[in-house]
Amino acid sequence: MSSRQNPEPMTIEEGCKLIDAAVTKLTRIIEGKPEPPFASHEYIGNYTIVYNMCIQKPPYDLSGQLYEKYGAIFQDYDKDTILPSIMEKHDEYMLRELSRWSDINKIMVRWLSHFFYYLDRYYIARSGNSSLTVVGMTCFRDHVYEKVHFNVKQVVIALIHKEREGQQIDRALLKNVLDLFVQNGMGNMERYEKDFEDFFLTETNSYYSRKASRWIQEDSCPEYMIKAEESLKKEKERVSHYLHSDTEPKLLKNVQTNLLVLVAKQLLEKENSGCSALLRDDKTDDLSRMYRLYHEIPEGLEPVAVAFRLHVTAEGNSLIKQAEDAATSGIVEEQVLVRKIIDLHDKYMAYVTDCFQNHTLFHKALKEAFEIFCNKKVAGSSSAEMLATFCDNLFKKAANDKSNDDSTIESTIDNVVKLLDYISDKDLFAEFYRKKLARRLLFGRFSDDHERSILTKLKGQFGGQFTSKMEGMVTDMQLGKDQQTGFEEYFKNTNTGKPKGVDFTVTVLTTGFWPSYKTSDLNLPLEMVNCIESFKAHYEIKTKHRRLMWIYSLGNCNLTGRFDAKPIELIVSTYQAAVLCAFNNTERLTYQELIDQLNLGHEDLVRVLHSLSCAKYKFLKKEPASKTISKTDSFEFNSKFTDKMRRIKVPLPPVDDRKKVVEDVDKDRRYAIDASLVRIMKSRKVLPHQQLVSECVEQLSRMFKPDIKMIKKRIEDLISRDYLERDTENPSTFKYVA
Amino acid sequence: MRRLEELFNRYKDPYSDMILAEGVSVLCSDLQVEPQDIVTLVLSWHMNAATACEFSKEEFFGGLQALGIDSIGKLQEKLAFMRSELKDEQKFYEIYNFAFGWAKEKGQKSFALDTAIGMWQLLFAEREWPLVNHWCDFLQDRHNKTISKDTWAQLLEFARTVNPLLSNYDAEGAWPYLIDEFVEYLYDKSVVDK
Repeated sequence: MSSRQNPEPMTIEEGCKLIDAAVTKLTRIIEGKPEPPFASHEYIGNYTIVYNMCIQKPPYDLSGQLYEKYGAIFQDYDKDTILPSIMEKHDEYMLRELSRWSDINKIMVRWLSHFFYYLDRYYIARSGNSSLTVVGMTCFRDHVYEKVHFNVKQVVIALIHKEREGQQIDRALLKNVLDLFVQNGMGNMERYEKDFEDFFLTETNSYYSRKASRWIQEDSCPEYMIKAEESLKKEKERVSHYLHSDTEPKLLKNVQTNLLVLVAKQLLEKENSGCSALLRDDKTDDLSRMYRLYHEIPEGLEPVAVAFRLHVTAEGNSLIKQAEDAATSGIVEEQVLVRKIIDLHDKYMAYVTDCFQNHTLFHKALKEAFEIFCNKKVAGSSSAEMLATFCDNLFKKAANDKSNDDSTIESTIDNVVKLLDYISDKDLFAEFYRKKLARRLLFGRFSDDHERSILTKLKGQFGGQFTSKMEGMVTDMQLGKDQQTGFEEYFKNTNTGKPKGVDFTVTVLTTGFWPSYKTSDLNLPLEMVNCIESFKAHYEIKTKHRRLMWIYSLGNCNLTGRFDAKPIELIVSTYQAAVLCAFNNTERLTYQELIDQLNLGHEDLVRVLHSLSCAKYKFLKKEPASKTISKTDSFEFNSKFTDKMRRIKVPLPPVDDRKKVVEDVDKDRRYAIDASLVRIMKSRKVLPHQQLVSECVEQLSRMFKPDIKMIKKRIEDLISRDYLERDTENPSTFKYVA
Repeated sequence: MRRLEELFNRYKDPYSDMILAEGVSVLCSDLQVEPQDIVTLVLSWHMNAATACEFSKEEFFGGLQALGIDSIGKLQEKLAFMRSELKDEQKFYEIYNFAFGWAKEKGQKSFALDTAIGMWQLLFAEREWPLVNHWCDFLQDRHNKTISKDTWAQLLEFARTVNPLLSNYDAEGAWPYLIDEFVEYLYDKSVVDK
């Protein structure tokens, strides 16, 4: 490019005149007025004016003044042209004006900074002033934006309100305007936040607060939630269409707080449509929605989980109450109750996994609810006992009824193991289970597969110590079969002592695995004595160092009763058999004679005689023929007895074990508490009372919930046995005595 | 030293080197006190006597020497001082705890109930505890078994630190089981309002 070689330097006044002309032309063009565009020589010429003035020798180097002129151009344009045009308009029109003028300004900045480019290259670099672009934009901000933003904001918010109320608005326009707010922050979001966003959020807050109040009154819970979900969706869309993305989290939080958090209690507890009702009526969609909505909110799920827990607890409690009311004469229908509880568990677990997405909060709520009602007593029966009885009946039935589908049994077993987890007195369950298992095994009403299956699952859940004794019992039965074969071999080979016509099976139980039974010095009939003796001889050959203890109360016997009409096979217990055999030699025996002959305890004899003379089948005639046994009665073989059956089973009702089981478990608990206390004190050496108690409870919680009073008593006992002592300074702290 | 020997010989049992029950009653009458007088407990404490109504030679000598006594007259003079010792908080504490080992049957680990009640009545006559009668009633009513050492010791703690209205009683605290029961009893009988 060529510079004009003018002998006279140009003055600022002259220059400004030329520049003003160019500016006027420019503004006409960019305002859309009819004006021919700049020809290239004009374009270059404008640049050159500036250039020449800058390179003139001092005092005519006019860079500084040109820089100021540049700024002044914008100031004047903003103040005289742009601002008044905008201020003239209202509402949407004002927004459009603003948008339009902002675009115009940008073009002007671009053009003029081309004209004044030489300043950018040297003057600005040397002086450290703001660039031409920045000057142009800053002027707009200071002289236009600052003056109009308040009103613009009002209009924007009013439009948003219109859109919220369902009307269509010009979203592109809003986007442009809000972009302006951002741009005028000159690199940070302050203008956008302070001049728009804060007001917007406040307005949003009151809007949704009002909506919430109305909807919560008018709508059901599901309807409300749908509206809430819809609102959140719309607000998200709003952000994507015209709000800045920074606003999204603040906006959503605002809406959630108003629509969901502040009304949570009213919403969830709505009668007939709240959480409880939805759970009851299987409204999975609504519950899933509830989860989705509250999941987004920090700690928002807590009230939902609480409502869930309360509902499940109420359902469980009502089952318990039903069972309590239905329990006539103290007998509880535990089959029914346990099944119902299992079904309840399945139902609500389904909610946890499906609607509540397996969230830990809901697993916990379910657990807590079940722990509350699963530990209630029903008509004097503890839940531990009921569950054990349930299993007993389940397995007895399954053993008899082979048609039963194995997979249903397996899934019931799984459910039992789950329920046991909620029961705090697990050791009590184990003891009842063991007692009933013993009866099942000994009376042949079991299936090896099922018994092993449940023990494996219990072991997996509660540890080997829990099931070791029971496993031993089942193994004993297995070994018993082999033993019996060996015993029979022995007979074939030695042919000693076994009376003709008596088949004899012995089951050897390992003490310690099986519940403890009292032995009795029953005088057996001779035939049986011979059998016993021969087995003893056989056993002694096999194993020298074991002592056999005979439990006649557990045995059973098949006798043939030679009645007048026809012989009938009687399947009875050993005790009953002994009593009946006593009549082999005598027609008539008194109670006293029977006592003397058999050496049975009174309680046992009464029970046996009752089952043989006062119950359904009267094999013995009793004199007097009353309903109960008294010590002055006498008995006679009832030869006239007959029945259409050829085999009759006469059950001897078992003695009520419950008290003994509870006593045994209490005793074991005392030992367990002692051991736990000593263990804790041995490792900690010194511990305050509260902590000792709570650690002890914690340690034992896997098996049972220890009674605090019992723990205290055990502590005192340990003190008197010199395991522990109180600290002399502080008597509520204990020390371990080495 | 000689005088102590003489004194000892006056009371000692003819067949053993100990002062036994007979000798103790002679001693008491010489001192002009009843045998059940609590001052005998204090004296025994000074002697660190192992059992009530028995003093070994070492115990007798040791105790009297520590008190600086070598005659009945001097002992009698000391009685007032010994009574006053019961008013001292620390000494009462020591004497109280000493009483357990001293008053119980030889070879037993715990206190027979009657003996314990008797001792409590005696001791709390010297240092007032408003609930002592209720405590003794409670024991006879509900407990009927022996008293362990721990319970004995903790009872004093209870009397010292818990006010008679039980307002500062901590049910979660480390009080022995029997004391918790006693508090329940007091509520039951409306002696104290819950």
